Amino acid sequence: MAKALRIKFQPPLAITLLILGFFVFLPMLSAFEYSIRTPLTGGYGWTHYIWAVTEEDFLHYILRSMWLAGVTVLITLFVLVPTMTWLHLSNSKVRGLIDGLSLLPLVIPVVAFAVGAQISFPEFVQNTVLELPFLYFVLALPYAYRSLDIGLNSIPLKTITEAARSAGANWLRTITSVIIPVIRGSVMATIALTFALSLGEYTLTVLLHWDTFPTWVTYVAQDNILGAIAISMMSLIIPFLILTVITLFVPERTIQGRK
Amino acid sequence: MSSKSLSLKNISKRFGNVNALDNFNLEVGVGELVALLGPSGCGKTTALRVVAGLEHQDAGTVLVADKNISDVPAHKRNMGMVFQAYSLFPNLTVEENVAFGLQMRKVSKHLRLKKAHELLDLVGLDSQSKRFTHQLSGGQQQRVALARALAFEPEILLLDEPLSALDAQVRVNLREEIRRLQISLGTTTLFVTHDQEEAMAISDRVGVMNNGVLEQIDTPDALYNKPASSFVASFVGTMNRIPAHISNGMVEIFGSKVVALKRGNESGKVHALIRPESISVVATTTQGNAKVLTRSFMGASSNIICQTADGTIVQSLMTSASTGDLLPGSSVQLRILSSEVLVANV
Repeated sequence: MAKALRIKFQPPLAITLLILGFFVFLPMLSAFEYSIRTPLTGGYGWTHYIWAVTEEDFLHYILRSMWLAGVTVLITLFVLVPTMTWLHLSNSKVRGLIDGLSLLPLVIPVVAFAVGAQISFPEFVQNTVLELPFLYFVLALPYAYRSLDIGLNSIPLKTITEAARSAGANWLRTITSVIIPVIRGSVMATIALTFALSLGEYTLTVLLHWDTFPTWVTYVAQDNILGAIAISMMSLIIPFLILTVITLFVPERTIQGRK
Repeated sequence: MSSKSLSLKNISKRFGNVNALDNFNLEVGVGELVALLGPSGCGKTTALRVVAGLEHQDAGTVLVADKNISDVPAHKRNMGMVFQAYSLFPNLTVEENVAFGLQMRKVSKHLRLKKAHELLDLVGLDSQSKRFTHQLSGGQQQRVALARALAFEPEILLLDEPLSALDAQVRVNLREEIRRLQISLGTTTLFVTHDQEEAMAISDRVGVMNNGVLEQIDTPDALYNKPASSFVASFVGTMNRIPAHISNGMVEIFGSKVVALKRGNESGKVHALIRPESISVVATTTQGNAKVLTRSFMGASSNIICQTADGTIVQSLMTSASTGDLLPGSSVQLRILSSEVLVANV
């Protein structure tokens, strides 16, 4: 940690961060500035934020989107971690194929994907909102896959897996007690990417006629655009805070090790 | 200690077209340390991995104390293993690494940490118990790996070239430490290495493997002095192969007739297999039977490389005190010191 804080000033790094800040934070700051305007009285205030949190559907939709995102994260970890561990350990030829397949959600139009994927589900899944996490999982696959892939490539996976097994750990314990903690950074990135993508997903949700937080924001925006921007700001800040809290509370032990 | 005997019966294992193990048999007694020695790709690591349950044999059985464990998964075999590559869990401290096997066996935290400290004390690293593994040297990491493998009192200890990534001095120290621990704990141990000095130094018996087959298994002394095959003779230690004639069970070498230990033809051309220490080199002012090519000083002993009149290169190992006048280019007389030699077909 101490080392990380002693990074020297490097002009290329500073310029990159400046450009990144310009493209990422300037639009966010502008949106924030816009959302705290009070056109009727002039100046700034929290009017729209107060309006948003007192809207009776606000809590309902934000909670719904969050638990759907949570289920998506669980599906992603449950499916991807064991599968990718197996792919890395077996050196199977299908790994290249699956690498390519994992990119398909980026090129398949959401309309085609939504309809095609939905009809492949059993009817009892189609009829509930629980179909969304499975579809969000597919949409997040290109990012989640690559994030875990980097983590698994960076460790001596075969040796530590065999060491764990010979010390008495079954496959489940090997994955939960050894592999996931060792690639914690990648797992956290996967959780963050999947959670954020699921929370903000709009197109597919609308196509399948479900209502979640993003669709509700669009609906609200028709009557109160400033209120909708305030809600959007909160939808950015709330997951950010949640992920920050998760990161802080998970013991900080990565492959480099920490005191 | 709950050490048990190990037995491999008729084990065969193929990888594609490669026969890694071919009808392989091995017996390791309770508390014995047996090394498997051989060149790369001879199947020694495969044999170890079959015992550990990390590979499954195509045929044959693995028995521990006469109980067939061929289909028991790796995590239920109760075997400690130390790997060639550093295999410690980087997210755990040293003591947590050592206690890992006990944690998997649901031993209480208090007891497993107590045991971990006992083992760390045995390998001289108790003071490092709170450190993370990246803060240790290679030798220390392998010591921790050894402590981890022994902490849950395994029935068999498996060592897969645990010293090959270490510096020469650390290797020598650690191999002695492994032997000391193995004897004091009485753990049945199978040790795989390609380093013959390592194998000979610490093993009760050494098995020499070639092409998936156990060529010979014997005490280090017997393996060196009575090799069962030409391969073992050449692989273990240094061996001169000197062209000679055999007739009536006698071989003539450097003008002396010695008894041939039968390994090759009964008569005609053969190769006499002679250790460097069984050949003496004496400087001569007259026409000798060889010339000195090089003399390498190695402290107490010196290595003399000579060439005979027919072009054969002969290596001799002598005490340095008697080699002072053996300068490169000087004429010398070679003599055989043993009364019997192994012979191999040309």
